[in-house]
Amino acid sequence: MNSAAIPAATTSVMSGSPLPFQGDPASRTLVLGLGNDILSDDAVGLLVARELQGRLPVADAARCDVVEVCEMGLALLDVIVGYRDLIIVDSIQTGRAAPGTLHEFQGEQIETRRVASPHFLGVGETLALGRLLGLAMPETVRILAIEVADPFTLGTKLTPAVAAATRTAVSRLKSWLLPRRGPFRAAHERLA
Amino acid sequence: MDKAVKEVFNEGNLRANAAYQAAKRNITIDPITRLEGHGKVDIYLDEKGDVERAYMQVPELRGFEVFSLGRPAEDMPQITSRICGVCPTAHHMASTKCLDDLYHTQPTSAGRKIRELVYNTFVLEDHALHVFVLGGPDFIVGPEAPPAERNIVGVIGKVGLEAGKKVINTRKRLRELIAYFGGKVVHPVLGLPGGVSKRLKPEDRPKFQELAKDGVEFAEWSNAVLKDVLLKNEDYVAMIKSEAFTHQTCYMGMVDDQNRVNFYDGKLRVVDCTGKEVCKFTAQQYRDFVSEHVEPWSYMKFTFLKDRGWQDFAEGPDSSIYAVGPLARLNAADGMATPKAQAAYDEFYQVLGGKPVHHTLATHWARVIEMIYAAERIEQLINDPEITSEAIREVPTKTPTEGMGVVEAPRGTLFHHYQTDERGVISMANMIVATGNNAARIAMSVERAAKGLIKGGHVTEGLLNKVEMAFRAYDPCLGCATHSLPGHLPLTVNIFNHRRELYRQLRQG
Repeated sequence: MNSAAIPAATTSVMSGSPLPFQGDPASRTLVLGLGNDILSDDAVGLLVARELQGRLPVADAARCDVVEVCEMGLALLDVIVGYRDLIIVDSIQTGRAAPGTLHEFQGEQIETRRVASPHFLGVGETLALGRLLGLAMPETVRILAIEVADPFTLGTKLTPAVAAATRTAVSRLKSWLLPRRGPFRAAHERLA
Repeated sequence: MDKAVKEVFNEGNLRANAAYQAAKRNITIDPITRLEGHGKVDIYLDEKGDVERAYMQVPELRGFEVFSLGRPAEDMPQITSRICGVCPTAHHMASTKCLDDLYHTQPTSAGRKIRELVYNTFVLEDHALHVFVLGGPDFIVGPEAPPAERNIVGVIGKVGLEAGKKVINTRKRLRELIAYFGGKVVHPVLGLPGGVSKRLKPEDRPKFQELAKDGVEFAEWSNAVLKDVLLKNEDYVAMIKSEAFTHQTCYMGMVDDQNRVNFYDGKLRVVDCTGKEVCKFTAQQYRDFVSEHVEPWSYMKFTFLKDRGWQDFAEGPDSSIYAVGPLARLNAADGMATPKAQAAYDEFYQVLGGKPVHHTLATHWARVIEMIYAAERIEQLINDPEITSEAIREVPTKTPTEGMGVVEAPRGTLFHHYQTDERGVISMANMIVATGNNAARIAMSVERAAKGLIKGGHVTEGLLNKVEMAFRAYDPCLGCATHSLPGHLPLTVNIFNHRRELYRQLRQG
């Protein structure tokens, strides 16, 4: 899938790999950065995705699209259709870890969780819906979430601990993108 | 807020937080949670262990005014639409109208029609999302169904796969219309003072005419689905009409010159709980009619009718509390401006026993009636010969000073208000969002649920469900009230004893 296939609903589309993709479109990976770019730490997912895009080796860039999206829930359906592997990078506020801590989730942790929110369709539900509708949904999903300190103040700067964590987060994502050297192989396993 | 009130609040908050931290245990973290802890309900007991006060707490936006200061006013439709990922078009449009006022200009006739076309498309899309994906599944699948089934997947199980595809496809096509004019859905760049940035090319009109036709059919089908579910189930009707979800307050909504519902433009009309008009005013007059009250126990601002004065959370004909949103709009108007929506409107009041309807859960049905209106209005506008006109903007020439803009966001009345220097650089920015307008009535609903279920310190099973239903009915846009993207809503209920120590904590999510 090339960048032109990303629907207009997405913003700041950062895909557009330097080399045209030549393999099977269904084998491609999407790295999806989520957040709000004017809400301080809430932007961290977007910023990590942006930085990753700049630091991807050419060989990896050819295999993967990096996209920043400020929407949630159902709107993500349009973006993730057609990709085989989905990696989401987002902010999280558990209150139980120091700001800048990286959390990882995959497989059952994502699929089995149900969300009872009036506004939010969880990733697991979005995938289930897509499959029900016969859309090509990713076979694997991993989430990298960065613990944030302040996602409530309008502003374009990260707090120091979160800013310091972006480099580690980018490295973590890069390791996920290495098919044979990193743990990414596990992510290719089809979810039950 | 005055200093003494702040001190009382800060001290209380410190103590509450210390107690909360001390008692925090086994918090389940959902991996998909973006921002945890949005739905926090605090219940304060008196010495007898009965409920003294209960309220829902929402993290507050910080720094909107500071962020806006010194920026060119014309950036505001972009900035404010980025605050919230749920209703960007509502902020964009309120802000654009605010700029019209600020620059002492009016959009051209075609520019205005394009704005209204895009705005109604947004309302239709957002309402459809709510009916089928977010709040509606509670009803379509059933309030007693396990939470895991009360979602779009459960809806498809109930209404069928083809119907599910219809929902998803219609929504996608509606978003394409918004993207055609706004460039993109989530951060549109359409509105300019005096008009819009893009016209409709005549050759692009037919596909949107087709969409409009399908939109009307889709909205009527949605109404049929909801009616079928609601009216064939006596338990639902009994629940809608139950005391727990009924409040006698005033209602606010925007109306046209014949007092019919309008989302994009008009005057704000307020009726009391008997349906009698209390006041009618323009965006520019809002400060004369609406005021904000602060309670020492919450940092939420509760809006109320200024003329009537703050009278605590009182119901009845003299209540100064008003609600906004789909039900409030229907109550505050004399009818709908389009025929199919008017027919649905008449049926709504006939079934629910006359005007106004005070049952908060009827909001779900009211929302579908508004979908019909939005779809019919889209059809009118797209077929209007002027919609393809090239005269889409009047470039403003006057010196900017102060502006106010208001629209009916899907969840209710949304005000924007800016002041600038003579160069158009922001010196003051304020807004009142729908959830702020509804805050007092939400507090009343949460308190009523709590009072019914806690006696003498004994907490009845089912408190969480009931409290959740009480505020979910309003579709509180936590994303908007918090000005952050919406996240998972694991409801936390903190119950404090009369010494303000944490007595119990209940969680769900």
